[in-house]
Amino acid sequence: MEEDIKIDLELDLRGLRCPLPMVRVSENITLVPVGGIVRAVTTDVGSLADITSWANTTGNEIVKKERVGKEIVFLIKRRR
Amino acid sequence: MGKQLQKTIVDILKKTINRQLYYYLDICTRCSICKNACHQYIMTNDLIYLPAYRAELILRIYRKYLTRTGRFISALNRAREIDEQWLDDLYKVTYSCTGCRRCMYYCPFSIDTSWLLALGKAILVAADKYPPIISEISNASIFKGENMEILKEDIIEGLKEYEKELQEKVDDPSATIPVDLKGADILYVSLPGSYSVLTAASIFHQARANWTLSLYEPANFGYFLGDTEKAAVTAKRIIDEAKRLEVKEIVISECGHGYRVMKWLWDTWSKEENPFKIRCILEVMAEYIKEERIRLNRGQIQKALTYHDPCQLARNSGIYEEPRYILRQIATDFRELTPNREKNWCCGGGGGLQAEPELEDFRLKTGEKKVEQIRNSGAKIVVAPCDNCRLQLEDLNKKYNLDISVYSVMELVADATVISKPVFPISNLD
Repeated sequence: MEEDIKIDLELDLRGLRCPLPMVRVSENITLVPVGGIVRAVTTDVGSLADITSWANTTGNEIVKKERVGKEIVFLIKRRR
Repeated sequence: MGKQLQKTIVDILKKTINRQLYYYLDICTRCSICKNACHQYIMTNDLIYLPAYRAELILRIYRKYLTRTGRFISALNRAREIDEQWLDDLYKVTYSCTGCRRCMYYCPFSIDTSWLLALGKAILVAADKYPPIISEISNASIFKGENMEILKEDIIEGLKEYEKELQEKVDDPSATIPVDLKGADILYVSLPGSYSVLTAASIFHQARANWTLSLYEPANFGYFLGDTEKAAVTAKRIIDEAKRLEVKEIVISECGHGYRVMKWLWDTWSKEENPFKIRCILEVMAEYIKEERIRLNRGQIQKALTYHDPCQLARNSGIYEEPRYILRQIATDFRELTPNREKNWCCGGGGGLQAEPELEDFRLKTGEKKVEQIRNSGAKIVVAPCDNCRLQLEDLNKKYNLDISVYSVMELVADATVISKPVFPISNLD
């Protein structure tokens, strides 16, 4: 449950277009400690595949992603 | 710096410098005409951004390692060794260039500094010295291509939302956004947002086009990175998709570099022949209007409207007239920027600069030539068929209080299209 997960950083990426949601996540992930969680909210549907691919290639982890209306909510764990 | 890296760099020089690049390096007379052509040099007045200086950096090591005089009497022809300082300078001049090629247009010898800087990028990639974010985006894009079966669900889920909006917009519950449609005439390669997918879907629907949406996007960060292997892989998946679906042509969305890569660069990198006709959506929309496959509310926009020629679509790919033809149908007060077409100023946001946070101040500063042009035009609407340009224009709008609205051509066409249902809905014909 998202409620049980401690969020270390909130990123409001609504309105940003590809590739900026991915850029902002990459830019900010180092602001949380290894093991910390970033919660990112986007509206760009491309970010669903983009941020998932970014996490896979950078060694980070998507703990959760879900669509809430037009918004997409990611919980990303910093792994390195 | 290790001897091995020096050797690697010299090997890249030997392998890459062909007759044309040698000509560029050899013929520059330092006339400095390029100083008035480059928006970055003009706005910073910093020698390092002068196109001739950018080329000179490569020339100096070329002389040092590949000419006899350079090897033995370096001081005579300003030859220099490859060292960390040289790599730092090369990084600064290479990844800051938008690749607009305005300097080439004005150069009396047509020296293509952008091509020389592609060599610079190849050297920097070999030295593991590149903007990390550009590499991350490029790698993510390649991952996406290799793992499409896993990611397809995410993409299709997003499209379902768009499909609902499409059906409302065109007032037709049978309207779809087809994916994986074998035998379609057109494979449309879109940017992921609704401004690119939904607008095109609406236009294709009204034109009764037989089309299918690509699962991939035209953006190619391997190209911005300067890694032609990654760039070729990123582009090839679109060609492979087109082959698999047996389409007749590939139509690229309003993405400047994406179009240029597919139209002009992929064959060279991959050494394979591209069997497909490549068109930009601008060409397709102009054709639909001329053939009356779509009808527009003529003169729908009365506000002063101007058109920004994206460097990669215009100067570097030759698309000038189609967007103007389209916009003149929609707008009553169409104004040209001065200068325009092949002489147009770069907006300052290309070349991957949009994705590099550390270049934000530089990007906004060097965009001032574009700001000046827009202000002089008096336009309240600026249209640009390239996402990098639009992101930059939106940023310039905020920073310099331009009080403009920025749109793509597709957005205006989709908005101005007269929605008409067929007399006999196609779904009932069989």
